[in-house]
Amino acid sequence: MSGFRHGAGRLGDAQLNFTFDGKPMLARTGDTVASALLANGVEVVGRSFKYHRPRGVTSSGPEEAGALVTIGAGGKADPNARATMEPVTQGLEVFSQNCFPSPKFDLMSVNGLAGAILPGSLFSAGFYYKTFMWPAALWYKFYEPSIRAAAGMGVPPKVADPDIYDRIQMFCDVAVVGGGSAGLSAALSASQSGLRVVIFDEHNDLGGQLLNEANSDANADLEQWRKDTIAALESAENVTVLARAVCWGRFDGNMLAAHQSVDGKVRQNYIKVQAKKIIIAAGAIERPLVFGNNDKPNVMLASAARRMLNHYGTATGKMLAVFTNNDSAYQTAFDYSDAGIQVSAVVDSRQYPGQALVDGCKSRGITLHTQAVVTEAKGWQAVRSIEIADLAANGQSVRNRRRVACDVLAHSGGWTPQVQMAAHGGKPPVYDKNIAAFVVGDQAPDTYSVGAAEGENGLLAGVSQAIDAAKAACEELGATAGSVTAPPQDRDGATNIVPLWCVPAKGKQLVDIQHDVTAADVVQSHSEGFVSVEHLKRYTTLGMANDQGRTSNVNALAIMAQCRGVSIAEAGTTRFRAPIAPVSMGGFAGREIGKHFKPVRRTPMQEWHEKAGAVFVQAGMYMRPQYYPQASETIDDAYERETAHVRQKVGICDVTSLGKIEIVGPDAAEFLDRVYINMFSTLKIGKARYGVMLREDGIVYDDGTTSRFAEDRFFMTTTTAKAGPVMAYLERCLEIDWPELKVRVSSVSERWGAMAVAGPDSRATLSAAFPSVDFSNEAFPFMGVVHAEHNGAKLVILRISFSGEMAYEVYATSEHATDIWQTVVDAGQAYDIVPYGLETLGALRIEKGHVTGAELDGRVTLGDVHMDGMASKKKWFVGKNLKEREGMVHPNRPQLVGLKSVDPRTPISTGSILVTEANATAGADKQGWVSSMTYSPELGNFIALGFLRGGKDRIGERIYAAYPVKGKNVEVEVVSNHFVDPTNDRVKG
Amino acid sequence: MIRINCPYCGEREHSEFTYGEDATRTTPDNDAPMEEWNKFVYERDNPAGEHIEYWHHAFGCRAWLKVQRNTITHDISWVGLPHENPEATS
Repeated sequence: MSGFRHGAGRLGDAQLNFTFDGKPMLARTGDTVASALLANGVEVVGRSFKYHRPRGVTSSGPEEAGALVTIGAGGKADPNARATMEPVTQGLEVFSQNCFPSPKFDLMSVNGLAGAILPGSLFSAGFYYKTFMWPAALWYKFYEPSIRAAAGMGVPPKVADPDIYDRIQMFCDVAVVGGGSAGLSAALSASQSGLRVVIFDEHNDLGGQLLNEANSDANADLEQWRKDTIAALESAENVTVLARAVCWGRFDGNMLAAHQSVDGKVRQNYIKVQAKKIIIAAGAIERPLVFGNNDKPNVMLASAARRMLNHYGTATGKMLAVFTNNDSAYQTAFDYSDAGIQVSAVVDSRQYPGQALVDGCKSRGITLHTQAVVTEAKGWQAVRSIEIADLAANGQSVRNRRRVACDVLAHSGGWTPQVQMAAHGGKPPVYDKNIAAFVVGDQAPDTYSVGAAEGENGLLAGVSQAIDAAKAACEELGATAGSVTAPPQDRDGATNIVPLWCVPAKGKQLVDIQHDVTAADVVQSHSEGFVSVEHLKRYTTLGMANDQGRTSNVNALAIMAQCRGVSIAEAGTTRFRAPIAPVSMGGFAGREIGKHFKPVRRTPMQEWHEKAGAVFVQAGMYMRPQYYPQASETIDDAYERETAHVRQKVGICDVTSLGKIEIVGPDAAEFLDRVYINMFSTLKIGKARYGVMLREDGIVYDDGTTSRFAEDRFFMTTTTAKAGPVMAYLERCLEIDWPELKVRVSSVSERWGAMAVAGPDSRATLSAAFPSVDFSNEAFPFMGVVHAEHNGAKLVILRISFSGEMAYEVYATSEHATDIWQTVVDAGQAYDIVPYGLETLGALRIEKGHVTGAELDGRVTLGDVHMDGMASKKKWFVGKNLKEREGMVHPNRPQLVGLKSVDPRTPISTGSILVTEANATAGADKQGWVSSMTYSPELGNFIALGFLRGGKDRIGERIYAAYPVKGKNVEVEVVSNHFVDPTNDRVKG
Repeated sequence: MIRINCPYCGEREHSEFTYGEDATRTTPDNDAPMEEWNKFVYERDNPAGEHIEYWHHAFGCRAWLKVQRNTITHDISWVGLPHENPEATS
């Protein structure tokens, strides 16, 4: 217990109740979980990632690396939330992480002890790569589960997230990232131009560092300026103020991405902002100092301790000590002292902090230790005292160690400008010696970094930069930004920092508090050869936690630079990448989850299929009937029955999903001659022809049937899978390759519902259904096309067959398709017509040896599928030039064959490898693969299509279809791919 | 996001478009030797910097467009129809 409520800060009056690990706690409106936990005296909030060291609140912002908690329970649980960024709401449930049974008494903290005793132990740098390499068998059984149990963070919920997330696309002229004094000024100035302005801030309250200032009478005018500026922005119609919105990435074309937490029905908005100009006023983040046990609860950033007191009305302790290498931390000591809280020491590593600060300490009775450092924070769980010592003039050693009592240590190692958004623009930041940090060098196009984000910590100076940027941005957009009132007070920005990267003393000195990376790990990384900052990051996992190196990067690379004997500028920074803050997956998914993950297409006959009891399967985007089970039929029973029935009688199948393209114009025939390997200019009106397309490289692209409706009008069908790509390809050909052709292509896939009517009784069925159409062989021969009308429906009937039986495809205008389907079914009752699904469609075409996407997989040539004879020699077509290449016509290529299992009832798995040995091992000569399989009721045998090396000449051979993953090895006979009716008589009957 | 100013529809996000191919290549004659076609299909440049390429406004007007894009910065400096060309820039 050290923190307590002290004053009102800027909090509201209402009392809120929340729980921490089930214990009731009190908060006030405006509190974050961090400030409320501190106010309730909680010091240990959780345990660290690897060593299970106790952790408390270290900051007051997005850089929080210690107080990571799980917010909410069940499906709403949000693990690894930064307590500093989570507002307390009434009834909020907060849980500690990575500790058992409780954060104060944690069984796993032995990891930390082991680390102290054994040098280079379990979790030191690179342990991922070095530990537990042998024996491999133990990895899954023992090492991984143990490490996972020991090292970790919050536990992701196992149930679905019930919350709603939205995505918002916004456009603006000027986007301002950061709502501190600079950002507010820039936004207000820009807004007065009338241009559209968006301003983001990740906190609930805008104001940035202004919120660190005491809410006192002396600062009343400054606080009023903050409020007035925010109010002016909120009331401006052309300004969108996005609070609690973390801008986490900047992308091509000046797009900013942000996640905004909102209260209400929607939990978060994922906002994409398209900005013409970007003003980055993201501020700076205070860096910790690196000393012994600097991760102990109640060691916190000086600015955070100050904000806790001044903004959240929470004193972080009863006795404060300050450790700094620059001027800025003194104000924390002064504010605490002025608030009546004892300040036991200010420890400054510099020789002389300047007379004003010395006097400031003196007048408040604060003991000042200069040229001194904190070597270690002491205390069983949280800080109860510190060990300080004098720093040698060369900074390499310490002497005269002594104890100073305190229960909170506020420290400051300087300020790190938030350059991420600027760096995402493509320009690496550069080192600025004056502030001992990286700043934006060259600005990316359309970007202005201002204020503390650009290394300018002075209040008025930063605001002035911001207004200049707003004016410049607006001017480039042809508008005039306004003048805004400057803040009524100034704050000096000079920190007079003298860098102190690492205190020369022993003890666990954390560089990356969240990932438990120590200064020793950085040194070890160097000694093991991982000297580049990018390698250092990956070897130690430094900066990869959810603070994304905000507090750790500069310290770590400075230590690395020291090890290497190079300047910090030379060591450089790691590349900045989005997202710079943890963002929820839910936000990215938005509402496209579950059934809405992708669109589902249904055919016009969907309802009919449902009533008929169809089982559906997703094929591409379409829901298609897979089979229509009767009574207690299994899928196998059903498709075997349907398949046999079609061969004996008649069946009807929904084939609406085929791509349908109308090709119109005087050059339509010439166009088809170019894209298909076979002739279409010779196709007679009222006839259909099967066509095959190649890619430029000579590989088979797609197949389908194209009919000629008129001299200048063709109707193409494509495979379901290639409907979209073929359309885009045809458009490309016409617009890019052959603009001289007078042809238009239109996708008419949605215009027509389509059904295949197949089987020996198909003619009789359709004759009964559509008496006006003459279905006789003479009037309507195989490959014939007939147009008709029936009860208002337009019909196109093609006599084509995928099944190998006498068959027709009936295309009906979509709005009439179900009526037409019903008409056919009614007429077919006399012939016992059955509907059949995708399984039977597949079984029939495999029996017939027809190929689909499973065979035409982007690897096969015409010769591989025995279609080389179809290619016209009289004309040029796409793919002609390269299809004859040596490798494309090699006789030993895998070629399409039929396969029959020797034991008729043994299935052949799709994906099996074809081998010649009975018990093939991994080294076996793989001679091909199985692409499709089915049971053939006609043959009473399992059959398959596959590709076999030199397969054309291997008919009759017995080989094996091996499926090692399932331990299957099926003896098969190589046969022709035409299992059924190889002479093709049935279709013409 | 890259934004492409479609001559028919106006400026749109690139997710409405699909990349087509390099627009700087010349298709060989139909009767050109196999070697020339082989080179055309397989030997592609991968330039760093300005590049002219075809994009398809697949989720818009479905026009094929010619686009000048900087492959390093993703800046789109010119958009036209397939038969047009950007004026030579210095």
